[in-house]
Amino acid sequence: MAIAELATATPVIPALPKGPAAPRPPLFLRVTALATALLFAAPVGYVLWRALGLGADVGQLVDEIGPPLWRTVQLAVLTSTTTALLGTGLAWLLVRTDLPGRSVLRGLAPLPLVFPSFVGAAAFIAGLAPGGALRGALELVGVDAPARFRGLGPSWLVLTLFTYPYVYLPVAARLRALPPSWEESARLLGDTPRRLFGRVILPHLRRAILGGGLLVFLYSLSEFGAVQLLGFDTLTRVIYATRLVDRAQSFGAASVLLVLAVVVVLAERRMAGASLAVGRSADRQNRPVALGRWRWPALAGVVAVLFVGLVVPLLSLGQWALRGLTAGNGPGANLADELGSLRLPAFATAQLGLGAGVLTVVAVFPSAYLCARYRSRLAGIVSAAVLGGFAMPGLVIALSLVFWSLNVPGFDRFYQSVPLLLAAYVVHFGSQAMRATELAVAAVPDRLRESARLLGASPMRRATSLEAPLMRPGLLAAVGLVLLATVKELPATLLLAPTRVDTLSTRLWKSFEEGFLAEAGLASLALVAVSGLLTWLLVLRRAHHLA
Amino acid sequence: MRRTRQLLCILLAGVVLAGCGLGGGGDESAQRVTIYTGRTQNLIEPILERFAKETGIDVDVRYGQSSDLALLIDEEGGRTPADVFLSQTPSAVGYLDHKGRLGRLPDDVLSLVPPTARADDGSWVGFSGRKRVLVYNPAKVPAATLPRSVLDMTGPQWKGRVGIAPPNASFQDFVSAMRVKLGDDATSRWLKGMADNDAFTFANNTAIVAAVGRGEIDVGLVNHYYVLQAKAENPSFSALNHDFPSDDLGNLLIVTAASIVKGSKHTEEATALVRYLLQEDAQRYFSDQTYEYPLAAGVAPSSALPPMSFDQVEGVDFDRLGGDLESTRALIRAAGLEG
Repeated sequence: MAIAELATATPVIPALPKGPAAPRPPLFLRVTALATALLFAAPVGYVLWRALGLGADVGQLVDEIGPPLWRTVQLAVLTSTTTALLGTGLAWLLVRTDLPGRSVLRGLAPLPLVFPSFVGAAAFIAGLAPGGALRGALELVGVDAPARFRGLGPSWLVLTLFTYPYVYLPVAARLRALPPSWEESARLLGDTPRRLFGRVILPHLRRAILGGGLLVFLYSLSEFGAVQLLGFDTLTRVIYATRLVDRAQSFGAASVLLVLAVVVVLAERRMAGASLAVGRSADRQNRPVALGRWRWPALAGVVAVLFVGLVVPLLSLGQWALRGLTAGNGPGANLADELGSLRLPAFATAQLGLGAGVLTVVAVFPSAYLCARYRSRLAGIVSAAVLGGFAMPGLVIALSLVFWSLNVPGFDRFYQSVPLLLAAYVVHFGSQAMRATELAVAAVPDRLRESARLLGASPMRRATSLEAPLMRPGLLAAVGLVLLATVKELPATLLLAPTRVDTLSTRLWKSFEEGFLAEAGLASLALVAVSGLLTWLLVLRRAHHLA
Repeated sequence: MRRTRQLLCILLAGVVLAGCGLGGGGDESAQRVTIYTGRTQNLIEPILERFAKETGIDVDVRYGQSSDLALLIDEEGGRTPADVFLSQTPSAVGYLDHKGRLGRLPDDVLSLVPPTARADDGSWVGFSGRKRVLVYNPAKVPAATLPRSVLDMTGPQWKGRVGIAPPNASFQDFVSAMRVKLGDDATSRWLKGMADNDAFTFANNTAIVAAVGRGEIDVGLVNHYYVLQAKAENPSFSALNHDFPSDDLGNLLIVTAASIVKGSKHTEEATALVRYLLQEDAQRYFSDQTYEYPLAAGVAPSSALPPMSFDQVEGVDFDRLGGDLESTRALIRAAGLEG
């Protein structure tokens, strides 16, 4: 207990919720934040408008969506819980302990995020098939692979493996930012590492864990491709299966998903509380916790996670590609041709990803600023509007943008152009940038801003020489997260990209859809390579700015 | 740090260039046709390119799932850029026809195919056919034990061994055909029989074929060409097609459909394209390259396929099912098979 008090008393990190920096946000900020929130709420408006206009039959809706809704909630709760545990555990092992090889593993740990989930699921299924890497590995340790890989368990496992980086990244960053003085004090006072973790470190990770868990939760709600392949019937299946034959039903189900998302976003905001305190102590390295006899078991655990989440999918994809190159005579048989044809899509993918990343951060900035610096009812509304979009299937977002751009006067000339496609990405993925941007804003301590003001620096000067440099790393990390989501995006890209613009994900889908696995494998590997490179540039190198 | 900054500047410049480059519009006065196609790139692009080359008409193509593109055209309404919609299945064109979003094809185009392979109101025309088959794993199912009829699949010998894809349009078309042939009661009984027989549900045909190849399930109801594709990539792939007798419902031929979107500003080019798809060259392409059944111009199916002419097939008039997919889905759902 003494240590916890000591910790909260350290001046480096103001740990407890502080009062608002100003009683009421300035009018300009309120108006801008509200305007961007409206942009983010556009799909919501469309879904409700259609659901009401088409007259969704509530009785039939309840009858049809009850069981799938329950399954969706189960999957989302289970996945966000396990990602919270796995992401936090990995982060602690890789950042705060003397685990062998931790610096290499740190670079690898976030990479499962780059797999589009349907590719991940398909690769996983293939890995468990006779001759697959995962089956082979299981046989080595004397376990028979299951004959079938479908239902809740497998969906839970696959989603956990491909989304835990949403928790891992912010938690690892937060851990890195905690001052070493605490641990030294704890040791001096004779506290065990376990007590230290539970009483001192964990409370400071709460917000990072909750924020990451929220993204995983929303992601699980909107997920379609992977759970469909894994034979798990969720609410998104209702949305897709009824999209032609019973549109009222389809939009009714989408409305239910939206309500669920808003409730969860608001609940998380309440649970997370006001504290956005960020402290940095970059000057001194923490002394790693000695794992002792747990060193090797811990290493084995980390390697096992990375093997299953990273190596297994890569092996399956490589196997598909290789099979096409060696045995095949179909498309995908000529490596040089295939790689050549992926060059343009790879460029388009990188460009769209970067464009969407930058624009999204610009768009959420006013909302994030408001949420980070002020406690107001408006902040809650804005936050729900921005985050809610992540729970909608991409198809719904795309159709809503079609609707708005064709029905708002003057916007129809942007129809199926790059600006509209970028707008779809911004609306869909604002949630991913929101938290990181809030943290970037909070990285400028009130004390410093106050001092600058008292010293007579003009607002412009304060913005360029104080705020911008301190925020920049965090903002770039936010760009990186959006970029990663964008390069995998499929439905909006298919419907809204200009014709003749191909991305790696559309290429991948076109091959995968009709079972051209060799081509799909190559396109996936290219996608993983491009997004891995961009992630490393933007996110990994500055991961410590995410907390 | 400085190098990172330079790199980022270059990347950002790339984004700006992307904005200019990707947005490049075409010449409005040129002859052009915009196609939304549910047929994937591998299957249709070569023939579209050939059309562009031979006619000098510019071709703009948007690929996607047939259902999604149908929704898109409906949402776009009168302002759709699409001139032609090519669908994997009759149900998506049926939806658009029902919504009044399709124009009428000229009679001389419609008459190129048998009457059952086109819409009575002339809103769409079939241009190739996929046959329903039973895919099986020869290591698990001796050929002698394969069923004579798709209606036998509800028998106890198939309990827990069959894969189906209720959300898939081809499966739904098959069920619709069964309703036409046998009536709703018999169809319901068959669907319930499948559910009681612990049929495994999959998202689509490719997932079933892959599962059969892995030995996860023994047999599955799919369209014919997925196995040919899988074997072309991986000769050791352990799955074969079993054809039901030609008078069996399990042998149904499902057509892919071409239509002209109402309000198209390039009707002439659009009609030329649809006509092109029904000419000998294109029909031969579908037969030889995508292993589908040709529907027009007297072209014979590829020798890799079991011989079958369209006239031999139990013709089901899909046109009659266009607006009634909802009842089909309701039957599937009522049987306990989610779709």
